[in-house]
Amino acid sequence: MKRLGLLYLAAQNLRRKPFRSFVTIAIVAIAAGTLFSATLLISSVNRSLEVGMERLGADILVVPEGSQESGEAALITGVPTSFYMERSVADQVAAVQGVDQVSPQLFIESLISSACCTGHVQLVGYDPDTDFVITPWLEQNVDKPLDRDDVVIGSLILANKGETVKFYGHDFNVVGILDATGMGADESVFMTLDAAYAMADESAQDAATALELQPGQISSVLVRVAPGTTIEQVAQRIKTSVPGTLAITANELSRSVTDRLSGFLKGFIVLDIIVWIMALLTIAAIFSMIVNERQREIGLLRAMGGKRGYIFRLMTTEAILLTAAGGLTGVLLGGAGMFIFRAVITASLGIPYLWPPLWFFALLVLGTLFLSVVSGVVASLYPAISSSRLEPYAAIRKGE
Amino acid sequence: MPPYERESDGNTMSDKIISLKGVSKTYKVGPSTVRAVDNAVLEIERGRMVAIVGHSGSGKTTLLSLIGGLTKPTSGNVLLNGTDIWAISDNELSVLRNKMIGFSFQFASLIPTLNVYDNVRLPSTFDGAPPVREDRAQDLLEMVGLGDRGNSFPAHLSGGEQRRVALARTLMNEPQLILADEPTGDLDEDTEGEILDILRKINAGGATIILVTHSRAVASQAEYELRMDKGHLSEKPAEF
Repeated sequence: MKRLGLLYLAAQNLRRKPFRSFVTIAIVAIAAGTLFSATLLISSVNRSLEVGMERLGADILVVPEGSQESGEAALITGVPTSFYMERSVADQVAAVQGVDQVSPQLFIESLISSACCTGHVQLVGYDPDTDFVITPWLEQNVDKPLDRDDVVIGSLILANKGETVKFYGHDFNVVGILDATGMGADESVFMTLDAAYAMADESAQDAATALELQPGQISSVLVRVAPGTTIEQVAQRIKTSVPGTLAITANELSRSVTDRLSGFLKGFIVLDIIVWIMALLTIAAIFSMIVNERQREIGLLRAMGGKRGYIFRLMTTEAILLTAAGGLTGVLLGGAGMFIFRAVITASLGIPYLWPPLWFFALLVLGTLFLSVVSGVVASLYPAISSSRLEPYAAIRKGE
Repeated sequence: MPPYERESDGNTMSDKIISLKGVSKTYKVGPSTVRAVDNAVLEIERGRMVAIVGHSGSGKTTLLSLIGGLTKPTSGNVLLNGTDIWAISDNELSVLRNKMIGFSFQFASLIPTLNVYDNVRLPSTFDGAPPVREDRAQDLLEMVGLGDRGNSFPAHLSGGEQRRVALARTLMNEPQLILADEPTGDLDEDTEGEILDILRKINAGGATIILVTHSRAVASQAEYELRMDKGHLSEKPAEF
């Protein structure tokens, strides 16, 4: 004879009290959703930092004193900025003990005016002779150095390879699109220093507002330290040897992001812990109520020949169904929330963001579901055990 | 073979299906101890139909539960087919209840979330249940006159219909022993007659029936009466 599955019986039981089942699912969904989205946010920021720092390719970033914040913002989230210092700074930095390689970069904020510029973005000028960031990528993907009218764009710039973009009235050909990093590079346009100087020179005639940039000016110096020296030591030496500059290590850059993130997440995690505890207590309370309400039924099932294990499995199956549904709802809502509000969160916190790979995403979904289900089983354990241990006659009498 | 008849299990009618040896059951109620069943001694032969009568609170239902292994005696031994049911494991006792005993309770004892058909076949779906014919649940529903109500839910049945479904479920695993607690309580005369008719058929089919009742009409169907009075069991011939 076709068996009456435990799953079917458990599902039928849960349909009996739809509001109570809904509340349990909702609480588990909040707990699972908060955990899922917080973990997704952390892993996405970490991945972005990992990829972004690798793309940056430098151990230390030297910027003019007072430009640390805007420099970090440009690198991390691509907030357009302009600040300059003399190119001689690059030579001074190169002379510092422990410095292996230096390469200057120029940060130019494009104009908002659509007449002159394709968009309000960060323009980055680099020196092809010393660069160790864009050039290796160009060698692999473009197979030729950039001309004065060529640019390489970040993955979020709205243009395709082969199209023309305009900045300060100058037309540039898009010769390549960089892979996504989740950091400022995605919203930046890369050109050679010579191209930037030429653009500045022509801007007086071609753009609504002239670009006030003198040939030879740079914004930052990217530094690679020599093997055998520590990055912190070299940064300290630069600070003392090159006055008027700030040396920011890659670690400090990452740390400033993680500090901002942890400030936000601290509240989030505390909230999540509270919600998990609430969910556990709610499930335990609800299953105690269920056991209490259904004593007669439990007694009947036992009288008909249901073993203790059957009653225990029935209760835990109900808990698993509720928490799995809650976990799944939480994952869907948390995922959708991150998808919809990602831009708002990253902009307000000033953090980079890069979606994790699919395998990590799948693992996170499974992990959240697993944790939800385990929580349900743990919380329902005591009521399930006590219900299975009820003496059939006592259960029937108490239920009367 | 009609669904109320049992397959032969090799036992003869003279076998003792139930033996109670000095069975007592006490409960703690606040500071005092209530002796619901006091030193009950009883032997019932297979195939009998026995009524347990007595006032409310005299211990009839507790006695029935002791016989059915639903509650453990404070002292004494309960033997079903010669097996001391409290000397075996809880799982073995569950299987024994499932295979050997059919309970009919005095309250509406159907699972509200299962339809009538699933309620009837429920005992046959537990681990260790004896194999039964695929169409037995439907046959039993036909027997109790509810063959067309298999898809209905208990909430849509009258009290009498629910009792009949519960009785059909009692017979699902072809039990040797039917324990019926007030099987006709709260029912009108016509429905009471229908239920008794079914019980008589089941008894005629070879099953032993023990019923607890207040009703003279119901008790009169039994071969003899057992009387409970303040936990004391006494056996006396029926006064028909």
